[in-house]
Amino acid sequence: MQRILNALLQFRNPIIYFFLLALSVYFSVNQSPFHQYSFQKYGFYLSSKLYYVKDALGSYYDLKVINQQLLKENEQLKEIELSLVDLSLYPVDFKQPKRFPFKVKRANVIKNSYKNQRNFLMLNIGSDNGIQPEMGVISKNGIIGVVHSVSKNYSSVISILNKDLKINVRTKKSPAFGSLVWSGGSPLEFKIEDIVSNAKLSLGDTLITGGMSSYFPLGIPIGKISKLNKIKGSGYYSVDAILFNDLSQIYYAYVIENSDFQEIKSLQKNISQ
Amino acid sequence: MNSFSPISIISFITLVLGQVLIFNHLHIFGSINPIIYLLFFVFYRFESNQTFLILISFLLGFSVDILSQSGGAHTIASLTIGFLRPLIIKYAFGVTVEKPQSYFSDSRTLNKLIFLILLIAIHHLIYFSLVYFSFDSILLIIKNMFLTLLFSLILIGITLSFYPNK
Repeated sequence: MQRILNALLQFRNPIIYFFLLALSVYFSVNQSPFHQYSFQKYGFYLSSKLYYVKDALGSYYDLKVINQQLLKENEQLKEIELSLVDLSLYPVDFKQPKRFPFKVKRANVIKNSYKNQRNFLMLNIGSDNGIQPEMGVISKNGIIGVVHSVSKNYSSVISILNKDLKINVRTKKSPAFGSLVWSGGSPLEFKIEDIVSNAKLSLGDTLITGGMSSYFPLGIPIGKISKLNKIKGSGYYSVDAILFNDLSQIYYAYVIENSDFQEIKSLQKNISQ
Repeated sequence: MNSFSPISIISFITLVLGQVLIFNHLHIFGSINPIIYLLFFVFYRFESNQTFLILISFLLGFSVDILSQSGGAHTIASLTIGFLRPLIIKYAFGVTVEKPQSYFSDSRTLNKLIFLILLIAIHHLIYFSLVYFSFDSILLIIKNMFLTLLFSLILIGITLSFYPNK
């Protein structure tokens, strides 16, 4: 305290000078509109520079929050996009709004593998977020897999890069359907089995989900036909496909919840009994 | 002139009134008003209290501003001169063993002239910069500064010549 007082006393002249200077500048600015305007001009110049720096720094630190907001927006948009697919499976009833049982939840992929024959992924949401086994998982341009098991905060997903998983697909033009199976090599190369040979297919046709599996709604674009052969004597096509979505490079995923899942499941049980 | 002497109070009042009532209305060549109250910084003894000088210089400029209804340029310029005066003295008279007690106790004319010119020039530079307050009119500021400097110097020199050297 003594030192502070000593320092204040030692520098009393500059302190008094700058105090009085600030006072007089303040009063002179208040007195004349011209000075006020000039001061505001310089002040504005300074503050704009300052805010530019602050904004440049702040926007970097805000990126995480903005990402979250964008993901939330994407989640809603994805839901709308899925419900807008208007193909013959969901005939439009003119009197009633179309029923769309699917809901979308966003997630981050925290573990991914693509080098094994049976690959699994891990998502950072679990039963606390309403995730249940056998929900479909998609990414921004394709499908990822199906939820296999769920813990409180995490869930494991069977990747479509898994020899055991078969996904119901069809082409955009023809309603003939088949099953998408990974051929086990590159994460983009797939085979489609069981498409009957009298269906009209051509090279480059877009493949979409078939909507018959209760995991995925109809009409999510998956990939393209890259090779097409009729197998003689079998009545089936041999189709190779290239996926749009590179499963070795994903970070964000959307889990699709089908609210009719139990209903469909119980019906299927009745049939099989 | 000491810090609290009656003479200093009288000269303070005289300088303020003289500036406001007479010299602010001279308008030499249309616009030049010499500034007389800088005499206060000459009269004030060199070794007297510096803190008090800063306060009194603020008051001086403030009184002139209030009475002539100018924006506050006199206050800032006069306050700055009060603050900078020790530096000006050091520069004009040099750091010698026989430091002058006041302006009148020194006999070197050139040093006195430098002291006066520095005092008036700095004051006028700040004053006109604040009056115009724009980079565009920098030529106008410098022109006004030198012309007013000339007339202020003549006026202050004449006034000082009435006082004998001690």
